[in-house]
Amino acid sequence: MSETVEQETIVVIDDDYAMRLSCRKILSKMGFRVETFEDGGQGLEGVTTLKPSLVLVDLKMPGISGMEVVARIHEVRPEVVLVVITGYPTIDTAVGAMQRGAYDFLPKPFSPDELRLIVNRGLEHHRLWLEMQRGEMERALLKRRFITFVSHQLQTPLVAVHQYLDVLKHLDNTEGATAKRHEWLDRCLKRTEELQALIKDWLSLARIEGESFSRQWVKVDLQQIIADILRTDGEMAATNGVSLESRIPENTYFVKGDRNCLSVLFDNLIVNAIKYNKPGGKVTVSAKDLGGEVEIAVADTGVGIPEKYRPLLFEEFFRIEGNGNKKTPGTGLGLSICRRLVSEMGGSISVDSEVNVGSTFRVRLLEYHAQTEEEGKKGSSG
Amino acid sequence: MTSEAEKILIVDDDHDFVEAVSAFLEAHNYIVLKAQDGREGLKQAKMQRPDLIIMDIIMNERTEGFFTVQEIRRTAELETVPIFVLSSLYSQVTDFGIPPNSSWLAHDEFLPKPVNMPDLLEKIQHCMEERHRSLAAPAGRKAGT
Repeated sequence: MSETVEQETIVVIDDDYAMRLSCRKILSKMGFRVETFEDGGQGLEGVTTLKPSLVLVDLKMPGISGMEVVARIHEVRPEVVLVVITGYPTIDTAVGAMQRGAYDFLPKPFSPDELRLIVNRGLEHHRLWLEMQRGEMERALLKRRFITFVSHQLQTPLVAVHQYLDVLKHLDNTEGATAKRHEWLDRCLKRTEELQALIKDWLSLARIEGESFSRQWVKVDLQQIIADILRTDGEMAATNGVSLESRIPENTYFVKGDRNCLSVLFDNLIVNAIKYNKPGGKVTVSAKDLGGEVEIAVADTGVGIPEKYRPLLFEEFFRIEGNGNKKTPGTGLGLSICRRLVSEMGGSISVDSEVNVGSTFRVRLLEYHAQTEEEGKKGSSG
Repeated sequence: MTSEAEKILIVDDDHDFVEAVSAFLEAHNYIVLKAQDGREGLKQAKMQRPDLIIMDIIMNERTEGFFTVQEIRRTAELETVPIFVLSSLYSQVTDFGIPPNSSWLAHDEFLPKPVNMPDLLEKIQHCMEERHRSLAAPAGRKAGT
C-alpha cells in the first residue's frame, strides 16, 4: 500500500442515486478515487477542482444536459476522457456526443464488467493522450483513429465482393446461384465502384491537406465551369430522372480561384443534388453578385436535410442514415472536401434546407477584381 | 440428423454480406433470419429463437455488436445460444481493447471477415452437433428417472 503511487480520479455525474452508488462501488474496488455528483452544474465544478482522468456523464439529467456537460468539459479540459451513459444509443446521440468530444458510450443498463472494460479502455486512451501530448499528440491520435476507421470503410465493400465471389464459386451449379449470378455480379461491380470512389475522395482530401494540388489562382468564368460539369453529370441526372439547369449567364460572374478546385467543388455539390433528389426533380445552379464576393447556389428539390444534422454535414464520414438513405452510395467525404476547398480559396459554404422540399448549398467565393490586370489579361484570352 | 431445419440469425448492417452468406447457408438447408442492426437482431433473437447467431461488430459506425452480444446473453432464454462474432477488424481488434478470446465477450467463435464459406459451414455444423449432444444429455437423464 504505497502512498507514492498517484491514484487516478474518476468523476461520475448522474442524477440517479443507485447508479452513482454502484459506479462508486465498482470503480473504488479497481483502486480509483471516485467522486460523484448528482447534477451537471456540480459536476462541472467538481471536474475543474478534481482534475479527473475520466468522467462518466449521464445524458439525461435535470438542469444542465449531459451533452452540454460533455461539451464544456471537453472545451476546458480536453485531456479528460468522457464516457456518456445513455439508454439505447441512437445515431443522433452517438454522433452528437462524439462531436462534442465524448470518447465512448455505456448503454444502460450495463454490467460491472462493461463498466470496467470501458473505464479501462478510456484510461488507456487517456494515457496515450498524455504520452502523445509530449510529442505530436493530437495529430497522431486522430490519425490512428482515422486510419482504423478508414480501414474498416475500405474493407467493408471488399468483404462484400469477396463473399459474393466465394459463394458463387462454392454454389457453382446450384439453382439458387444460377438465378442470382447476374444480380450478384452487378452488386460486386457496385461495391468496387464504391471502393474506388472512397479511395478517390480520400486521396483528394489528403491532397488538399498536403497542398500538393498545384494551384493556379486565375480568373474563372463560372458559366464555363458549371456548364462543363452539367455536361459531365448529364447522364447520371437522366438516369435519376432529374433535370439540370444553369442560370448563370456567360461572361458575367468571374471568381478568383483554381480551376481544379472549382471543378471538384461544384461537381461534388451537383452530384449530391442529383443523388439526393426525387424522380422528376430539378437541380438549379445560379449566381449573384454580393460586391467583392460571388454567391453560387446549387439548389435541389430533393429529400432535404433535417435541421439537427446540418451542423455535422461537413464533417468527415458523416452520413445521414434512415429514409432509405443507406442505399444511396456515398463515401461521406464529399462535403468535407467541399468545405476544405472553399476555405482554401478564401470563401465559405453554407446550407439551407427543408425536409422533403429540397436543399440549397451556397458557396461564396472572392470575386475576380480587374485591378489585378496582369493575371486578368492572361486569364481572359477568349 | 434433425428433422427440422435449423435457424441461423445473421446480424450485419451490410446488405450484400448478408445476402451472400445467407444464400450459401440456405443452399445447405439452414433457415436464415436477417437483421440490420443490434436492436433488430435482439428483437429477432427473442422472437424467433434461432439455433445460432452470426454477429457483426462494427455496425452503424460503432461497436454495436459487442453490446448486442451482451444483451443477448442477459436474456434468459438466449443465454446459451451459440454466437459467432465476425469482423473485418479482426487483426486490429486489440485496438478496441478486446482480444478475441476475451471472457466478457460471451461468444463461441471469432471469425475474420471475409469469412471462408466452407470453414464457416464446418464450424456451424460442429457447433450444432455439440449443442445437440449437450441438449440431449440432460433430457436423456430425465427420461431415465
